[in-house]
Amino acid sequence: MNKRRPNPKQVPDPNEPLWRSTLRVAMPLNLSYIPIGLACGILLHAAGFNTLLTGLVSLLIFSGGAQFLIATMLTINSPLLSIVLMLFFLELRYALLSSSLSPYLKGQSNRFLFIFAISLNDENYAINYLKFATDKKWTGKEALMVEHYSLLFWAMSNVIGSLIGSALKIDLGIVNFALTALFLYMIVMQIKNRLTVVICLISGVLAAVCMMITKSTLGLVISTIISSLIGFGLETTLRKRLPDSHWFWKLRSPGAKQSAVEGSDGK
Amino acid sequence: MSTVNTWTSTQHFWLIILGFFVAFLPRYIPLMLFTKREIPEWFNEWMKFVPVSLFTALVVKDVFIDSKSYQLIFTQVPEMLAAVIVIIIAYRTRSMAISVITGLIGVFLLSMVI
Repeated sequence: MNKRRPNPKQVPDPNEPLWRSTLRVAMPLNLSYIPIGLACGILLHAAGFNTLLTGLVSLLIFSGGAQFLIATMLTINSPLLSIVLMLFFLELRYALLSSSLSPYLKGQSNRFLFIFAISLNDENYAINYLKFATDKKWTGKEALMVEHYSLLFWAMSNVIGSLIGSALKIDLGIVNFALTALFLYMIVMQIKNRLTVVICLISGVLAAVCMMITKSTLGLVISTIISSLIGFGLETTLRKRLPDSHWFWKLRSPGAKQSAVEGSDGK
Repeated sequence: MSTVNTWTSTQHFWLIILGFFVAFLPRYIPLMLFTKREIPEWFNEWMKFVPVSLFTALVVKDVFIDSKSYQLIFTQVPEMLAAVIVIIIAYRTRSMAISVITGLIGVFLLSMVI
């Protein structure tokens, strides 16, 4: 990506204001929110949301998955209760994300935690989690700034998407793929060793089976819980019995060295 | 879109308010609890596998599951091929923006050809 830009870890610029250094961390995420946010805005417009409400939903719910789900369920005229229930199951995963961030947010006020929770999201979680894990100087204040930058870009691109939604006729299937691509990227970034690849395969098969049985996205929640428990069980057993198992061999990505979150696979 | 939603803006508004609560509580309650007391070790170890499991499940839903009947489908060939492209691009570049945009262009071009 940016070969010429000096690594911020090696060459810290003491004069760089905090808003700019955090913006630099958040910028790749912000930019990637633009196409997805536009797509989401267009989709919500197609589902009947006006521009003002599109802005409100991106500020209050702030979840690509949830907003795509709302748009999809509205176009097939689902009842309110079933949409809200679906949203609840979809958003339940944040319980796991926010508890994994909590060790880094000890001692913060309740007010801070409240504001932090409102703007927490899959992607800014990924950035903040890696920063907390690799950068000793990363604080809650900076993490919150990253969240607010991403929230700002998300809401703006949703509103703009809603505005151009009326002018453009776009194949919704293709727009929907933005979210799939985003999840694929998140998976690739999470893969650290061979065991994770195995868990991915298990999770994929389980997800298909559970969704066919439950006939709803509730299957997603069930399969996530089961496959993460299988992963947890496999890892604990392997570590106990075969600590040098080849399943723990690291997978190195050719692009990893240029990444801003370099060093995360060094633990 | 062939089907047009008949809801009014007021109904959309209430959907957003209810959606806010179900989105906010799962994010806030664990933060509030676990910043005050210790998280058990096993919980943390388990948590490591949650994001990757969930994202895989979501991709499987988008690519292989029909959104109305919840049956397994293998007809979304452009999406399947584009997914492979996205994985390769994400692996090589580690860039979210490049991955998503290549995926969108890929699925657009492939659906015209196939």
